[in-house]
Amino acid sequence: MKRRDFIKTGVAAGAALTLNFDGLQAALKSNNMVVEQVPDMVAVMGGEPEAMLDKALEELGGIGKFIKKGQKVVIKPNIGWDRKPELAANTNPGLVKALIKKCLDAGAEKVTVFDQTCDNWQRCYDNSGIAAAAKEAGAIVMPANEEKYFREVTIPNGVILKKAKIHEALVEADAWINMPILKNHGGAKLSCAMKNYMGIVWDRRFFHSNDLQQCIADICTWEKKPVLNIVDAYRIMHQNGPQGKSAADVATIKSLIASPNIIAVDTAALGMFNQVKKLDIAAVTHLGKGESLNLGSTDLKKINIKRVRM
Amino acid sequence: MKQANYLKGLRVLLAILFFIPILFFFVDFRVLMPVSVHSLLHLQIVPAILGGMLGILLLQFILVLVFGRIYCSVICPAGVFQDIINRLFCIGKKKKKGSRRFAYRKPMNYLRYILFGLIAALAVFGFIELLLALDPYSNFGRIASNLFRPTVVWINNILAGLLAKVDNYTLFHVSLTTATTAGLIGGGIALAVFIVMTIMRGRLFCNTLCPVGALLSLVSRYSLFRISIDREKCISCKLCEQSCKAEAINVKDLSIDNSRCVDCFNCVSSCKKDSIHYRFKPVFKKETEDIKKEAPIADTLTPNKPAVSSNTRRRFLATGATIAATLPAVSAAARSRNRFRGSKEKDVNPVTPPGSISLERFKDKCTGCHLCVVHCPSQVLYPTGLQFGLGYALKPHMAYIDSYCNYECTVCADVCPNQAIKLTSLDDKKTTQVGIAEFFLERCIVETENTDCGACSEHCPTQAVHMELYKEGSTLTVPVVEPELCVGCGGCESICPVRPDRAIIIKSNVVHQRVEKPAEEEVLDIEVDDFGF
Repeated sequence: MKRRDFIKTGVAAGAALTLNFDGLQAALKSNNMVVEQVPDMVAVMGGEPEAMLDKALEELGGIGKFIKKGQKVVIKPNIGWDRKPELAANTNPGLVKALIKKCLDAGAEKVTVFDQTCDNWQRCYDNSGIAAAAKEAGAIVMPANEEKYFREVTIPNGVILKKAKIHEALVEADAWINMPILKNHGGAKLSCAMKNYMGIVWDRRFFHSNDLQQCIADICTWEKKPVLNIVDAYRIMHQNGPQGKSAADVATIKSLIASPNIIAVDTAALGMFNQVKKLDIAAVTHLGKGESLNLGSTDLKKINIKRVRM
Repeated sequence: MKQANYLKGLRVLLAILFFIPILFFFVDFRVLMPVSVHSLLHLQIVPAILGGMLGILLLQFILVLVFGRIYCSVICPAGVFQDIINRLFCIGKKKKKGSRRFAYRKPMNYLRYILFGLIAALAVFGFIELLLALDPYSNFGRIASNLFRPTVVWINNILAGLLAKVDNYTLFHVSLTTATTAGLIGGGIALAVFIVMTIMRGRLFCNTLCPVGALLSLVSRYSLFRISIDREKCISCKLCEQSCKAEAINVKDLSIDNSRCVDCFNCVSSCKKDSIHYRFKPVFKKETEDIKKEAPIADTLTPNKPAVSSNTRRRFLATGATIAATLPAVSAAARSRNRFRGSKEKDVNPVTPPGSISLERFKDKCTGCHLCVVHCPSQVLYPTGLQFGLGYALKPHMAYIDSYCNYECTVCADVCPNQAIKLTSLDDKKTTQVGIAEFFLERCIVETENTDCGACSEHCPTQAVHMELYKEGSTLTVPVVEPELCVGCGGCESICPVRPDRAIIIKSNVVHQRVEKPAEEEVLDIEVDDFGF
């Protein structure tokens, strides 16, 4: 070790120690014996989407913990369907807007929003309210309607899916936030954070013809993981998903779950979903498959969860 | 000496006012223009005839009777297009001051009216193929949508690529999946014909091949306002004759063939002696001997016309009456004509767009202008080749190759110029069944691979295709079709991953059926107080 490096390290260590000491002292002063640990997952219930997002991020230590100054950020909501926000087929536009603002406030160089839609993309972008909301908040709304917007990447840990074409905004991004809406799904059974990955890839047909559930788990092993998964469970689609037919498919449960751990967040969301409609975790096989690919644990007891009621 | 003449300028202005919006509408792949632009197309005569739009036909009849064939110089996009070709052809020809020299030619009346008679007769007996092959409007549409639109898209894609570099996505890359070979050939032939005929003989197409031109010529020869030459002033310099795209001015005997005159007013502008005018000069006003020279133009050849009478006025009235009577008859006959056609029922029928009501009706009404193809946001409409027979050539059919008919969309019906595609409301569309999904379990992923899929059900807007438990003890689900809910939108077929034959396919309804909208389920008030984990 060079002398200069040694001094640097020493100074840094000293600074760290001092800070820790300050923290400890502050805790002692306030007579709080338990030093609060930052939770692995936060679930908020009973508020408006934007307020719940505020609360969740606050509990997780602030957006600055996940988004750094100068980063290129992608927010990936679900914009799959030509449906109004009330029908819960797409992520809540107000939530997307609020998150974009937070990222920009945290110093993100730019925030890009896209989804590879199922219905005609322009109608989805417009009627979901997300394009307008995102632009208002200052994000770049990027099309994902053409193969040329996608770039091939390898998925070395995938069991079936070994490579995929992923949207270039995401390939180039420094950090991304996965922002699904909680829904029932005819094929995958549950549409949440893991299933939301399908909107980043070009060829979804490959998924459907090559074990949908395994491919969903496989794509989640792509090296660039989301820094956060924020599940919009303000309105959820409990039946006829993922598209839904009418307002009868929607339950307003005013919740939000946020965590960097994708399996945990989906397991928790499934728990929430089960209070409205019975859905066995065994049927949502992409969760189990994701667990075997070391994406996280479905055992929520192992992690530190903060539950907040508003 | 020469009086100011605004007629040509006015004609050019009006032509631009019609042509530019129509042209842009046909290349408007991003659907930026308001749908109301399509009302300009309501004035087109062949769509109006096939659509049985009597009011418009009456209006056109009056227009041509009063003013002559203004239609051909202003309203008809193919007519204006030929003028543009002519104009472009003149560029660089400085010696002629940017204009061409035409010369009087005898009308090709035998060809013109025999062809017209044939077209009319075939149409009455239900074969509108020849009419559509020569219809100026739909030919222009095919040129614009199949040739101009891809060009515009190509330019758009280049620009979009440049803009994307600076993170601007106002323009975005577009693939034209609906540019079919059939469409390209149809548009290409029409373009070649227009270019060649215009360059060789000006408005020859309009005065020999065009059924609308032939029809209007029957009336325009009696029009109240017309071009005529003032014998006193004319010095026979032939400037007017040389300027006449229709080759209808004969300076030798100072006559003008009003059946061919398209009212472009180039001649009026060309005259240095102010001796050629567009003025009120009805045929029955026998004031000069000019009329006798104009009159004997062959008009006995059309089968639609009554016996020749020496009396001009009587002949005029009779012609008018016959035409007025024939037009609705053509469209009426076209509606109820199946018995003439022979029932060569093909095994596979095209899926026709919702609002076309039935295959037969659509065949009779659609002119194949491809405006719906251009505007369909889902790009599910394709110009057809010969795969469904000659009678369906160049008309649009729905193919669920990689897209499907959006449940919330009525654009094709909104833009259709003559209600060949006709929807009264969005609900009308949502309850129209253009075909029914047919499911083949033996090809389905769930059966063959024993894995989850459900893509078909995922894309079904009515949940006519829904997932049910595959087998006892399994968590897998398979699609089940409820035909009474299926609208035939093709969502399922478009996404089914099975190849070469997909596991779920829309079988077309030759006559569209009505389905109920999915029953409104009760909105439950679901209260959740706990996190559930």
